[in-house]
This record gives sequence, structure tokens and C-alpha cells, in this order.
Amino acid sequence: MDSTELSQYKELFLTEMEEQLQLMEEDLLRLEQEGESQAVIQSLFRVAHTIKGSSAVMGFQPVKTLTHEMEHVLDKVRNREQQITTNLTDLLFQCLDHLQMIKEDLVQGEESSVNIDSLTEQLAQALTAPGQKLPEAVPVNSLAGVQETHQLKLTVTIAASCEMKLERSLLILQQLQEHAEVIKCSPSPEEGLDDSRYECLQITCAAAMNGRQLQAYILSLMDVEQAEVSATLEQENEKESPPAEKKRKVQSSVRVNVEQLEHLMNLVGELVIDQTRIHQVKGRLARKYQADEDIEELEFVSDHVNKVVSDLQNNIMKARMIPIEQLFNRFPRMIRDLNQSLQKEVELILTGTETELDRSLIEEIGDPLIHLIRNAMDHGLEAPAIRAQKGKPLKGQLRIAAAHEDNQVVITVEDDGAGIDPDRIRQTAVQKQLIAPEEAAQLTDQEAVQLIFHSGFSTASQVSEVSGRGVGMDIVRSHIEKLNGLIDIDTCLGRGTCFRIKLPLTLAIIVGLLVRVREQTYIIPMSNIAEIVRAASEDIQTIRGQPAILLRNQVIPIAWVHDHFRIPRVESGRDTIPLVIVGSAEKRLALAVDELIGNQEIVIKTLGNYVGKVDGIAGATILGDGKVALILEIPSFIHGAGGTR
Amino acid sequence: MTSGQEQYIQFGMGPEKYAISISEIHEIIKMQEISTIPNVMPYVKGVINLRGRIVPVLSLRRLFGLEEDRYSKLTRIVVVNHQEETVGVIVDHVDKVTTFTDIQPAPDRVGGVNGANFSAIGIIDEAIAGILKLDQVLVKEGEDIGQY
Repeated sequence: MDSTELSQYKELFLTEMEEQLQLMEEDLLRLEQEGESQAVIQSLFRVAHTIKGSSAVMGFQPVKTLTHEMEHVLDKVRNREQQITTNLTDLLFQCLDHLQMIKEDLVQGEESSVNIDSLTEQLAQALTAPGQKLPEAVPVNSLAGVQETHQLKLTVTIAASCEMKLERSLLILQQLQEHAEVIKCSPSPEEGLDDSRYECLQITCAAAMNGRQLQAYILSLMDVEQAEVSATLEQENEKESPPAEKKRKVQSSVRVNVEQLEHLMNLVGELVIDQTRIHQVKGRLARKYQADEDIEELEFVSDHVNKVVSDLQNNIMKARMIPIEQLFNRFPRMIRDLNQSLQKEVELILTGTETELDRSLIEEIGDPLIHLIRNAMDHGLEAPAIRAQKGKPLKGQLRIAAAHEDNQVVITVEDDGAGIDPDRIRQTAVQKQLIAPEEAAQLTDQEAVQLIFHSGFSTASQVSEVSGRGVGMDIVRSHIEKLNGLIDIDTCLGRGTCFRIKLPLTLAIIVGLLVRVREQTYIIPMSNIAEIVRAASEDIQTIRGQPAILLRNQVIPIAWVHDHFRIPRVESGRDTIPLVIVGSAEKRLALAVDELIGNQEIVIKTLGNYVGKVDGIAGATILGDGKVALILEIPSFIHGAGGTR
Repeated sequence: MTSGQEQYIQFGMGPEKYAISISEIHEIIKMQEISTIPNVMPYVKGVINLRGRIVPVLSLRRLFGLEEDRYSKLTRIVVVNHQEETVGVIVDHVDKVTTFTDIQPAPDRVGGVNGANFSAIGIIDEAIAGILKLDQVLVKEGEDIGQY
């Protein structure tokens, strides 16, 4: 096996391991919440067994050893020889964590340094704990403490007197599988060959026992006449049985490298641009040569390409979408641990887990969500005793929901905890000199609550381990803004807090509003736009020295794009000014531009490393006419306009 | 550095001649419409669309601390590869592909421009051209601009 092939298998193995670990976590949580059930134990056993098998093939010793021990313990539980105790569950959780760590190391391409010795020892001890029925002396049971497994080659001869050799060999394999991981068997009973072919089986397996023990065990099985055992070299072993062969499952899907998808997406992006250009050229030609028959043909082709490209785009977008479940799955365990460490009783309710969004978004939104959850657990939801005093149900509720809402994804994190006290926020803000006392007094409750998004703000009077590590809601906000999203907060003192995050479905292609400022075209991401109005000059008022417009009783400050970019404003000579009301996170701002051009789907490109980050610019795109248009970065406009005033 | 073998693109700004090694040049294009970027260093004139790629365009005159001139029919954008990025540099006119018979170390100043911008001076037929040291020319801290 050459190294690229090996790394391919490794990738496959790691993906599988990740899935299996996820399953393990779910099962363990279920085990803890619902108590012992045959189904859960069975499932846990299967997971441990699967990981053990594939790690043995890949030669990842620690993983194999640890899962082997887990499997062993679970087997005992399954056979009612061992009881599930809190200690044992905790121990299994620890095993899971260690496996996660090892997996992380492997993903990084490092030899794992995670030490599992104490865990395997504890697992072995759990078995010898008093009060446990000792099973009959089957060789393997005495081997609980043995950590190494051996790769062995078996030659098993089935007695000539046996009438159903195929079935017998199946049974032998099954029995063997209880104690060893069968890597290969030749001829394989699954092939269902003629009975006579199964007189002699060549089995390669990984077993926790040594050759002699295995031989003894095999010989103890029915109809086995002869059994020879020899050790195999790992390389030889790999050569003979690449893991791909082991997986004979029929799969209706293929795994695609994320980078490849990313590249496809970029290519489609180019196509979208070109197609818009073709469309425009077609329009020009059609005006020039109205009578030409070829124009009609061109129109037809152009329309068709248009359709295909947008179909292609939709499909690739879909391929990038994954259910948010993949992220939400991390939360039950988190809540369990937080409940334990914070001495709280919070029930987690997840809804809309099937909601799909772009995978890069799922990666990006993880940290902010975790932060919100930790905050809710730490500051929001009260301890049971306090809840009792307030006459609330003892168990707190944390609801995390996802849903699609007109081409956007809305994620809410809602708790029924203490809520946010606007007065306390005002005090803290003044204390930390974020605002002047008189300013604080003028703020409405709603505005005061928004201060939690201010950088340098953290109300937790005591810095706890769970949240309040100096980073706070401002990080959450900037993270969400980076994704072109919005965050809103709704809180009621004593009743709870609800954070609402709105995100675009994807990052690579967005719908943008094209606007003109002087002679250049700029793009405002549609996801940032709340509404568009035209204001007559008499509608514009000056409030605290700042031009603003009153819209449905809300005062919205006005900022000219010109000012932000240090280009002179022009007198349009028209009666009204187009105002694009934009929002980022909880803030609103009216952007004054010279002209509105229209909506267009655009592909976001960067300005490159040479230019680097430019204040007020999120990126660029190529328009249908081949010109480059800059995409406005709305958050920087909003903070620029409201931050210092 | 051996003289005579390596090929250079010779170009001019005002009366001065300059050269860039051909190996560093991606292509040379005519002046085109540049989308300006706000809030950047004054030598960054903006970005252009180079067959679907967005490429920043710089003013070499600004980079050298010279007065900017109006673009003419002869104005060209020399697109160079710089640290895995593609960057366009505006020059007054491009003359020819050339080799040099002699190459000498750059003096402190070359025609009113800081000598650090040049890796050497190329000489052929009694004409001289400053050979650009792109790493030095393109990487500018804000303070350096207009100092020379």
C-alpha cells in the first residue's frame, strides 16, 4: 500500500471514527438519562467493536486497545454479568473523551501522545470489582488486563464428518468474532461456495489472546479438527486486506473532499459571472442586428445556458448543505457536563435539527453558539434552589432551534432563566466607563440590553470557569457579523432570554443590491438590508448633531457612503435621496447612496493579500460588464457611525 | 548575477529607464478602467478584472515617490508575480525586451529614486536602466511613502 493510498484509508477511517464516536456519545447520554437498556448497551458494544476493528487494521494501537477494553466491559454488561453504575458511565465518558483526543491527534497527522493506561486499568478494575458474578472460565475472560492484541493467522480444519461445512464455518467465525477481530477469512463463508470448499479456513484476525490461547479456544469449538496458529506481520496483513475490501456495503453516496467542493463552487461562480456577461452581450447584439436569425439562436442558447448554470449552482449549493444536526449533536453532552459542574438541572430541547445550511457556516457558527449556551447555563438559568424560591419549575429549559425563514437560517437560543437586568447593565457600563452616566440614563431598556454586545463588557461579577473569560458577547457579535448575519436579543427580567441569529444560507454566492456612489458601483449584501426608502430632504432631521430619519417611530442615523470613503458628496439635484436601511447584529443605519441600480447574484472574491483588509470593504466581485465592484462591509459602517458618538 | 543572458523588459518613466527581469513578469496589458478602493495607501490605484481574477494595480510613480502623471496611450500595466500574488504596476511606457552587457551594483540614488529599490544597474550600449528589486519596491510601509 503506498502512502497516498494509506492516507486515503486513514481519511476514511477518521471519518468513520468520528461518526462512531458521535454515536457513542449519544448512546452514553441515553444510558445516563434513561438507564440501562439492552438496546443501548448493544449499540454501544457495536460501536466499540467497529472502532476496534478498523483501528486494528489501520494499526492505531491505543484506539484498538481502549475500545477493546470498552467492548469487553460492555460485553459483560450485555450478558448481565456486570452492572452499569454511575462510576462506570463516567468511566465510559472518559474513554470517549480520550478517543476524541486521539482522533484529533490523528487528524493533525500526529502520533497520539494521549495516555490510555490508567483508563484501561480502571476498566479492568471495574470488572474485578466485588459483587460481580464470575463467568465460566472461557480463556479470554482472564485476559481483561492484557492490553496488547496480536495479529494472528489461523488455519482451521473442519472435521470431514461435518455435514454442513459452510454453516459450520460461519458459526466458527461468529464465535471467533466474540473474542477477536476477524480481518479476513478465505474462503469466506459470505461467498457461499460449495460445501467442500470449506474444509480448511485461512483466517487472519486480531485477538487479545496469544496464539496458544486462541488455538485452545478454537479447538474447543464444535467440528474443529485441527487448528494452527501463526503470527502475521502487520504489513503483510495490510497488503492482504486493505480495509476497503472489508467494507462491502453498497453505498449510494460518495464522500467528496471539502476543498474539491469549494473549487467546484468557485468554478460555478465563474460560470455565473460569464453567463451574466453573455446575457448582456446578447442583449446588445439583439438591438444591433434585429433581423439576424443567428440572434434568435444565440438567445435560445443563452437562455438554456442560463437555466443550466442556475440549476448547476443550486445543486452544488445543495451538495454543500448539511443538516445542523451535526452541530447540535455536540450540545447534549455539553449540557450534561455543564449541569454537573454548575450544579444545575437544565433540560435541553433541540428542534429543527434537520435544517440544512452551508457546511462552512456550520463550522463558523459553532463557537458563537457554544458561547451563548455557556452564557445561558452560567448566568441565565438559575440553580434549582433559586428557581424553587421564584416559583419556577425546578428544571430549567434551554431551547435551541433552527429553521429556514425566507432564504435565511434562523437559530434561536432561548432559556427560561433570570433574564437580563437593564439597570445592572447600565451600572456596569458606567462602571467600566463604556458610556457616561447621563448617557446611560437616556437609554431605553432595550438599548441598555444591547450594551452587552459592547466590547469590554462582561457582567459576571465573578469570572467563572464556564464563561466570562474576558471574551464576551462582542466576540459572538463580530463572529456573526463576519458571516453577514444578524443577532437580536429579547429578554424579560425573571422570565428568560432569547437570542435570535439570522444567517445567510451560504457564504460564497450572495444576493447583493447594486448601488452607485459617484461613478463607481458598490454592492450591499442583501442579508444586511432591512429595507429601502427614499427620503425627501425635509424628512432628514438632526438629532444630537447627527443626521437621522424617523422611520415608524425609530430613529435611524444616516451615513453617506461618500463620507466613509472620503469622496465628496454630489448634489443630485433630485428631491429625494435613496436610503438603504442596513442592519448588522442589533444596530440599524441608513446608508445614503447616489442611485439604486438593482439586485444581482454575485460571487464574493477577496481583494487578495496584497491589498489586505480594507475598512468598509468585505470583498469584490466581477459584474456582468466585466467591471470590478466592491462589496460594502456593513458592520464597519455601523460601528463607524454609532461607535464614537 | 551573470550579465548578458538574462532577459529584461525595459520600460520608462519620464526620462529614466527601468527594467524588470522577464521571469518576474506575468504579462503586460494596456491601461484599463480601474475600480478604486477607498481607504487604502495612495499608491494602490484600485483593482482590475484580469480574465476573472481580481488584481490590484499600483502606481510605480507613487511607489518611487515621483509626481503622478496623466495616463496616455502608451501607459501600460506590467502584471508581475509577487509572493504568490498577482499585482499590476502602472508604468509610463514599455520599450522592449533587452539584455545587458554589464551589470553593476546600484548606487544610493538612481535618477532621484532611492537605490534600495534596485537590485542592480544594467548597462548596454552606453544606456543604463535601474533593475527593479520587486520585493523591495512592492512592500512599503505607510511612512515610507513620499519620503524620497
